[in-house]
Amino acid sequence: MFFHIVLERNMQLHPRHFGRDLREKLVSKLMKDVEGTCSGRHGFIVAITGIESVGKGLIRDGTGFVTFPVKYQCVVFRPFKGEILEAVVTMVNKLALLHLPIDIYPCGILQMGFFAEAGPVQIFVSNHLIPDDMEFQSGDVPNYTTSDGSVKIQKESEVRLKIIGTRVDATEIFCIGTIKDDFLGVISDPGTNA
Amino acid sequence: MSGEEEENAAELKIGDEFLKAKCLMNCEVALILEHKYEQLQQMSDDPTNQISQVFEKSLQYVKRFSRYKNPDAVRQAREILSRYPLAEFELCVLGNLCPETVEEGIAMVPSIKNRGRALDEEAIEKMLTDLSLIKKFE
Repeated sequence: MFFHIVLERNMQLHPRHFGRDLREKLVSKLMKDVEGTCSGRHGFIVAITGIESVGKGLIRDGTGFVTFPVKYQCVVFRPFKGEILEAVVTMVNKLALLHLPIDIYPCGILQMGFFAEAGPVQIFVSNHLIPDDMEFQSGDVPNYTTSDGSVKIQKESEVRLKIIGTRVDATEIFCIGTIKDDFLGVISDPGTNA
Repeated sequence: MSGEEEENAAELKIGDEFLKAKCLMNCEVALILEHKYEQLQQMSDDPTNQISQVFEKSLQYVKRFSRYKNPDAVRQAREILSRYPLAEFELCVLGNLCPETVEEGIAMVPSIKNRGRALDEEAIEKMLTDLSLIKKFE
């Protein structure tokens, strides 16, 4: 889910930037530093939309650098366990090496399934979390298809899925999803669309 | 890890910070990001080297999955959903997925059924119908 939140960061600035456009310098440095980053707590910082306040600067001993506390508004994307969202399939049946905590996903390390993308986040849906009536078909365009051929999941398909687990590391959030539940699954596949 | 294990969006357990925060529907994010992209374009000829991959992927995503394109429809969708006792997060899930039936709506946002609010099935149905009308007349 996307959120509009206020975050704070201490910005260090070199004295050569102290002048009329100090604030501009602070803001452009802030954008460079934080946009595109990711933390487990707040998710991906997509875009800064405004500056709330720039606090009093504090000169650092010995260096002459000054630290300013800056409060800024930003759009973040933070996936949650239990959240249902739409995503685009990016790859089907790659054997995925999953380094997941055992309590989130106990079914082993090498998994078959598909990868999907929702904005900046990658979501893996394994074989076990795809409805049993869908089977894997290899070929030029690997896909999962129902026995009557009416529903197909392949690259570029749009699916609605539920996030059942997240793994957070320093710079990335990775999700495990399922489409094995009511009202989940394919919403459009590129083969049938005009 | 302990805080994370508690997390469950289906029960609206998303942490206090995010529960109180302003949520954005995909269509609202699209308006914000497109505006920002235009600003960057005006400042430099090649905005692509100024934007992060996260920005680019988010923009592509929200453009693809926006139910409402024009700003009036986006405002109207939020206005309609705001009439009901929904948490921000619930409001945005409904606005993003536009479920067609009460059953589907509850499957998408199970928490609307759990909290003993003044939101019975009839009200949910009315809400979803109103929402679907915006789409039609857009």
